[in-house]
Amino acid sequence: MNIKQSIVLRVRVAFIVVTLFAGLIFYRVAHLQFVEGEKWQAKSESLNFQYRQVSATRGNIYAADGSLLSTSLPFYRVVIDPLVAKQEVFDKGIDSLSYLLSSFYRDKSADAYKRSIKDARVSGKRYLILNRKQIGYQEMQAMSNWPIFRNGRLGGGVIFEKVEKRYRPFNNLASRTVGFLNEDKYGVGVEYSFNEYLEGKNGKALFQRIAGGSWKPVFDAEDVKPDDGFDVYTTLDVNIQDVAESALLRQLMSKDAEYGSVIVMEVATGKIKAIANLQKNKSGYGYSENYNFAVGDQGLTEPGSTFKLLSMLALLEEGKINLNEKIETGDGTFRFFDRTMRDAKQGGYGEITIKEAFEKSSNVAVSRLVNEHFGHQPKKFMSYIEKAGLNQPIGFQLKGEGAPYFKNPDERNWYGTTLPWMSIGYETKLTPLHTLMLYNAVANGGKMVKPMIVEGIAKANKIEKRFDTEVLRKSIASAKTIRQLQELLEGVVENGTAKNVHNKDYKIAGKTGTAQKLIDGRYTQRYYTSFAGYFPADNPKYSAIVVIDSPKGFNAYGGDISAPVFKEIADKIYSQDLEINVKSQPKFQFANLKTDEFPYIQAGKVDELQMLCNKFGISNHYNDGGEAWVKSTVVNKAIQWKANKVEAPTMPDVSGLSLRDALYVLENKGLRVVYQGKGRVKNQSINPGATISQNSVISLVLG
Amino acid sequence: MRQDDLYINKIDWISILIYVALVTIGWFNIYAAVFDEQNAKSIFDLSINSGQQLVRIGAALIMILLIMVADYRLFDNLSLILYGIFILLLAVTPFIGKEVNGQILTVGFGSIRIQPAEFAKFATALALAKFMERPSFDLSQVKYQLQALAIIMVPVILIMLQPDTGTAMVYFAFFIMLYREGMPQRYYVLALTLIAVSLLALGIENNLYLAFAILAVITILILLGKKSFTRIISFIVIGILMIGYTYSLDYAVSKLPQHQQNRIMVLFNPDLDPLGVGWNVTQSKIAIGSGGFLGKGYLEGTQTKFDFVPEQHTDFIFCTLGEEFGWVGSFVVILLFCTLLIRLVIMAERQKTRFSRVYGYCVVSILLFHFAINIAMTIGLFPVVGIPLPFFSYGGSSLWAFTILLFIFIKLDSHRVQMLGRMK
Repeated sequence: MNIKQSIVLRVRVAFIVVTLFAGLIFYRVAHLQFVEGEKWQAKSESLNFQYRQVSATRGNIYAADGSLLSTSLPFYRVVIDPLVAKQEVFDKGIDSLSYLLSSFYRDKSADAYKRSIKDARVSGKRYLILNRKQIGYQEMQAMSNWPIFRNGRLGGGVIFEKVEKRYRPFNNLASRTVGFLNEDKYGVGVEYSFNEYLEGKNGKALFQRIAGGSWKPVFDAEDVKPDDGFDVYTTLDVNIQDVAESALLRQLMSKDAEYGSVIVMEVATGKIKAIANLQKNKSGYGYSENYNFAVGDQGLTEPGSTFKLLSMLALLEEGKINLNEKIETGDGTFRFFDRTMRDAKQGGYGEITIKEAFEKSSNVAVSRLVNEHFGHQPKKFMSYIEKAGLNQPIGFQLKGEGAPYFKNPDERNWYGTTLPWMSIGYETKLTPLHTLMLYNAVANGGKMVKPMIVEGIAKANKIEKRFDTEVLRKSIASAKTIRQLQELLEGVVENGTAKNVHNKDYKIAGKTGTAQKLIDGRYTQRYYTSFAGYFPADNPKYSAIVVIDSPKGFNAYGGDISAPVFKEIADKIYSQDLEINVKSQPKFQFANLKTDEFPYIQAGKVDELQMLCNKFGISNHYNDGGEAWVKSTVVNKAIQWKANKVEAPTMPDVSGLSLRDALYVLENKGLRVVYQGKGRVKNQSINPGATISQNSVISLVLG
Repeated sequence: MRQDDLYINKIDWISILIYVALVTIGWFNIYAAVFDEQNAKSIFDLSINSGQQLVRIGAALIMILLIMVADYRLFDNLSLILYGIFILLLAVTPFIGKEVNGQILTVGFGSIRIQPAEFAKFATALALAKFMERPSFDLSQVKYQLQALAIIMVPVILIMLQPDTGTAMVYFAFFIMLYREGMPQRYYVLALTLIAVSLLALGIENNLYLAFAILAVITILILLGKKSFTRIISFIVIGILMIGYTYSLDYAVSKLPQHQQNRIMVLFNPDLDPLGVGWNVTQSKIAIGSGGFLGKGYLEGTQTKFDFVPEQHTDFIFCTLGEEFGWVGSFVVILLFCTLLIRLVIMAERQKTRFSRVYGYCVVSILLFHFAINIAMTIGLFPVVGIPLPFFSYGGSSLWAFTILLFIFIKLDSHRVQMLGRMK
């Protein structure tokens, strides 16, 4: 073979190689597309199309007046795919981005952020959670303008992962009652108990996989639309809840107590208007809602003297006693077998009527009476407990209700001392809700209604379910007994242990309770104080119970600790509730003005008033300065302006303001104003200085 | 003036037209690869790849103009200097370059960065042409074989250090040119046999079968040829070495870095890990496979959007084509490439100097290698090596390097009648 031939041959080989290779590729592409086409198509669909869950929007929880207690808001978690950003973009932006991240989250230094992002970029990690803290929509918007992030998902690699998060507009208000639900679908409160309605039904839809592992929905007939959750309407009243919480908190703090609970209930319907539970934080400072002591297991305790109401009920129903009958309490001690019953008062009450014994909460008197009349037939006494519905769980709408505990006369742990001690609220366990239910029944003329916290479930305007008041017992005792019990409870406030809450504006009826706490089988010097009752006693509208556990200080009695909280709540409710205080309006004035005095200009904006006075040649002085709103006082013949701090977060004093000014001031604070009369504001239904809750109604009387 | 007229008329417009067609189709494909229906941007938008690529195409056109107006003798004279410059650049890249994903590939200032490894291809081609132009150069002699080998291996070693195995492999394409220029055939037979045995050794689980097969082939070869003692002995030695090689290969592979090992294993069993290592290939096959005869239509592809197939707009650009234009589209592009390659072979053969012929064959070799390997890897015929599809793939360095490579040859070709050199 000569060289020429060899070269021609080689060139031909080169031609053949190129052609062969091209042919091989043609064949392969054709094979992929035609022979294996369906296989790859199917694979592409299985890999890139998927039915994915479309989460239903969780329902809202509302208060009775329509205020939102809990709703779902979108929050975002910030994730970065550090490999996406181009080198230039990355190098240019990384320093300022790290700095911004560091100053936003305040948890790591800018260097630490920079290092973690760079490390992830080098090691090829495509999913770096920058911070687990979730950010709000506004923050997300701001963040998307940061360097690198502003190049978006495809250019900068930033991923804002949306998470729906529960948001409570009122923060911690009734937080334990509103509750929560964790990722394992376990939780507390309304969120948990009504989850089946709130959660809705997730739908599914066909999604196609797109860049960066995210999914976009594609139209498909098989889609199942998510069924959004129902809204739950609670009976809670934001104002009363607020009042209850703040009153309770103040008392807990001043007495350095362990925990406290308040329940406020509407007498006729059993609707719970407020449940507050505050427990001392583990740190020892401050209180927060950690557990629903009012309803739950841990709230089960020996109720103490509030239980004496049931003992009286049993005694009166048996017809064995007369309230004016005298009973000898002696020196305040009485021995039952090996145990000594003691009265709170050293030396005892001597001979007193049964009514007085109840008012003064004499343990000796009550236990002796019960032991005398039921000692030989304890089952009879138990039947009254049963009749009052106290021996079993209520079937409350919130899950986790504590079951009451009573001893059984047939069992071995029933001793001779059991009944006397049970009659004064020991050796038995009840939740505050149970006790309140009994008091509510007495207030309600014997009709026992089931406490309720959710009154309806609805979506948009369609009502799905309505919960009506459930009557548990038409009558727990005869009308006569109930009247006598009411008389006894009023007596406690008028003459007895809760005299300090007596007031002339409206009548409170109730009973104090002070139980020694049983810790490790021994009664200690720690007390569980309570006050259960209702108001106004003449025409009961609300019943309530206040319990405060382990208050510190000298006077650790229910009358001193819990009753004042009750009164504070009752006062506020009474002043706000136009329905119950409409008759007594004139009695209830906070800022009555003397309108006959000079000047008629009483309050307003200082610049306007000054201009007016100067025009009329009235001498006026403003020494305080600063504040835009003032009230006027007369000093000799001149007017002295005094600052009126309407800007403060508490309820402003609007008396003396013109209606226009008052509306301006109050509506700016989110209050709803109703008014009657003409002229300047004469009085206002919410006290100046009170805490303001949004959307509450204030009524003004003009004159 | 007469001279200029002369050479304008001699310019090979066929290859230029194919070049323009490939670059244009490539550019539209780059747009398709980033096109987002939800957030449609113009193909000219500089914030997306297609807009940036257009700028680079513009730069490439300027380079073409510069090459075409330059004196054709310049390339001959500058060849060794260019080679030296790029070898130097390659040598310093690891020290002054920028690290991306563990590789240091680019040098430059600010936003203008180039990959010396891409440009070193045409410099090496020029250097080879220059060396082989010498009248004494004869590839049948071991001395000259070693010279050629040295010119090729210096850049290969430097690129391996970056490390960029894919690009380094491209330099072996020069052996195609050497084959045309008279490199002894036995090397190629040996190399191809080795490759075949390697593939079989990796593909077949039980090496014992392979050993028997090798024995059988050797026996047949011995029986067919002359039965001289040395020939029989050398065949037996080769056979034994090959069997030993098959056994040592598995061990050698296990010593490779994990990602290279995976790429090799996936070739034989793509279903091994369709979402892991095989991801690129699986996605690419899905894209091409779902294209069908006519494809889904321009910008209608669903598999090839964004970086769904990783390196979509660079190394895996061919699958965008396969998906959106189907078999017909792939056919047209492959046809364009083949036409270009065959046209270049014809052009190389009509050269009057060895310098331009060798250079022409270098161009053919490199383009063929890139084209074959790139497409073969997108359809799962070859392990995934990161080399771009010439004129198609996104990226400045590769487009510019291929443009310079091709147009130097077109320039040389247009002056072929003026270059009266020694032919052999």
